[in-house]
Amino acid sequence: MSARLYAKRAISASDTSAAVVTHGTIALRNLEAQIEGLEPNSTPGQRRVEEQARLVDLLALRGSILASIADYERALELAQLLVCDAGREGTAFLARARGRAVFHRFGDALDDLDVAESLAADAKAVRRERAAIFQGLGRYEEAYAFREEDARRYPSFDSLGALTTLCAERGDTERAERLRAESVRRYRGVSPLPLAILEFHLGAMWMHEGRLDRARDHLIAARCYVPAYAPAQGHLAEVEAELGKLDLAITLLEPLAATSDDPDYAAQLARICADAGYPDDSRYWRGRAAARYDELTTVHPEAFGDHAAEFWLAAGGDPSKALPLARMNLENRKTPRAYALLSRAIVADEAVSAGGISHHQNVAVRDFSSKR
Amino acid sequence: MSDHFSGPRALADPAADISDVFAFPAPGDPRRLVLAMDVFGKAGPSAVFSDAVIYRFRLRRANIAATGAGASFAVDTDEVAFDFTFDVPSGANDTTHPPQRGCCATPGGDTVSFYTNDEKGGQSPGVRVFAGQRSEPFFLDVRMIEKTVATRQIAFKKVGSDTLYGTNVLSIVLEVEWEKLFGGAPMFAVVCETLRAGPKPTRIERVGRPEIKNVSLSFKMFDQVNRDLEIRDIYNSEDAFALASDYVGAYRARMNANLAFYDSLDEKIDWPLDEAGNHPLTRLLLADFLVVDASKPFHETSYFEIERAMLAGRPHATAGGRWLNEDVMDLIFTLYINGGNGPRISDGVDAPIAWSSTAFPYLAPPNPPKAKAS
Repeated sequence: MSARLYAKRAISASDTSAAVVTHGTIALRNLEAQIEGLEPNSTPGQRRVEEQARLVDLLALRGSILASIADYERALELAQLLVCDAGREGTAFLARARGRAVFHRFGDALDDLDVAESLAADAKAVRRERAAIFQGLGRYEEAYAFREEDARRYPSFDSLGALTTLCAERGDTERAERLRAESVRRYRGVSPLPLAILEFHLGAMWMHEGRLDRARDHLIAARCYVPAYAPAQGHLAEVEAELGKLDLAITLLEPLAATSDDPDYAAQLARICADAGYPDDSRYWRGRAAARYDELTTVHPEAFGDHAAEFWLAAGGDPSKALPLARMNLENRKTPRAYALLSRAIVADEAVSAGGISHHQNVAVRDFSSKR
Repeated sequence: MSDHFSGPRALADPAADISDVFAFPAPGDPRRLVLAMDVFGKAGPSAVFSDAVIYRFRLRRANIAATGAGASFAVDTDEVAFDFTFDVPSGANDTTHPPQRGCCATPGGDTVSFYTNDEKGGQSPGVRVFAGQRSEPFFLDVRMIEKTVATRQIAFKKVGSDTLYGTNVLSIVLEVEWEKLFGGAPMFAVVCETLRAGPKPTRIERVGRPEIKNVSLSFKMFDQVNRDLEIRDIYNSEDAFALASDYVGAYRARMNANLAFYDSLDEKIDWPLDEAGNHPLTRLLLADFLVVDASKPFHETSYFEIERAMLAGRPHATAGGRWLNEDVMDLIFTLYINGGNGPRISDGVDAPIAWSSTAFPYLAPPNPPKAKAS
């Protein structure tokens, strides 16, 4: 079966009303073209606040599709400049809040939203951003209160899609699927990017639930919308690995690990190569991931603490490095996953300290479903 | 990182976003009518047309129904449409700029194939087409427009700053022998649309006259009826030739309010409202299509000339429509602010970075990319 046909089947399995949308490669080219078209005006004095805020959003979007930390960093850098340049514009603070939230600087982001609100930024946009931050912080009830109200008052792809991702994160699978279908039904655009992102969230949800078949369908659907969607490809590789298709998983991960500045792919590849009996490759990718995690946890500790801790508990094989990172992560965001991560880090660290488990043995401590 | 994206914010596809529409008799051949549609404002070099969008030119025969204060057009229900569609370019993943195959479906059932950025374009009897990246022909100072609205005072400078300077767009140019369209009737109403392709195409956007949605309709603060209504999405979804009755009142109220605001900027009233509170331009502007008379000679400054002649109760002298190089912002502000009863209102931007030419495909070649900001 061709890849294209395979992907189409996956979409039809997950969606009964697939929209006619722009081909993913065109959409990505045009995202690039939008960024190219806005970047030249980014020198101070020439910028229009709305356009620069738009550029921040576009860079963050490309970052999320291509798993490009450099894009996230550029977005935050531009947002910082924007606040310096237009300190009386609520839109500037809203943009910086988004940039900071991406790096899990939730407290700073909430402060920015307060300023944005006082400067009369778009009230609905501020509330939506605040709900997203509450979700990131694990303050689910507050996030739900807004998302439910927003979806009820303004039922649209945006509001229902946001509620879908919240339900997905909470593991409310039945409702998330129902909301996803309703979101797609209301979609009026031709860009495939929002649809791909929605499918990705559903895929991640089913992975967490251990329903690999369903996760696979959604992740393939996401890649059908946007073939170059890196996180979908990475998660699909993890699913394939769990299903025993280690070589396929390696094939999916290698290009990502080789090109992405996000070490998650190298970390996953190291783990899967070890399982597949390629110790040299595993060592190589482990080294790359370790070096990059060390860089990122220095520069962006809040954003990468959890991912780095996962790595040190798994392929990284050093629970002593995982423990402080897991603690810091829980201080920043009290989500169920943050508690679970710290719990695993403590157990693994105690086991190593007691001498009852070697680093290599510790790799086996990982638990596919509980680590997400 | 990817796991924590805050949720899908629907980002519109820029390739479906129409920025301008033009209609003029071919400067070198009065038998031919030229229509152009620009999409994807501020397009970077990578920009291509969407394969999920139908780019449509719609033409109907127009006649002058009334002149004077109640000036209006009568537009036939018969219509011709030219639909442009595009394939996924091979090598679309590359950083290079692969040509994209396009196709124009004519009202006669023919199809004209072409590749983007080929200046010779595609041809069939009576039809010539071009599509590709070109220099943005439009020029204006957006900041000073915003300041004018915010301060309620004319804020234009003697030398303004062109917001679109050096930028590019994706253009589609259609040249047709107009006598073949409606049996020789020369006056056309023209509107361009983007539609989501599929079994039942749905309208994404429509554009006829310049600056209706942004300069004329977007500002909410003067509207005493619908202060909170973002009217543009609803407006876009309407058929330009047959507005549904549901929202006409909202469009009219918004247009009346905003036009009255512009009229007040020189502290004299040039456009007294009628007993019902309607601005004299509202009806004509809400007939949101370009009207072009192909029997009249090409003229460089002809936008709204037919309509002004109608309001004055005299015959029009030009083809109307809209030529690429016209300083339409100056014309609009002069029209809105003093109705031509005072000095020309200039926004201080009098030219684009590159003038369009009088030869096919008319729009200037694209500008080179600028250096990235450090």
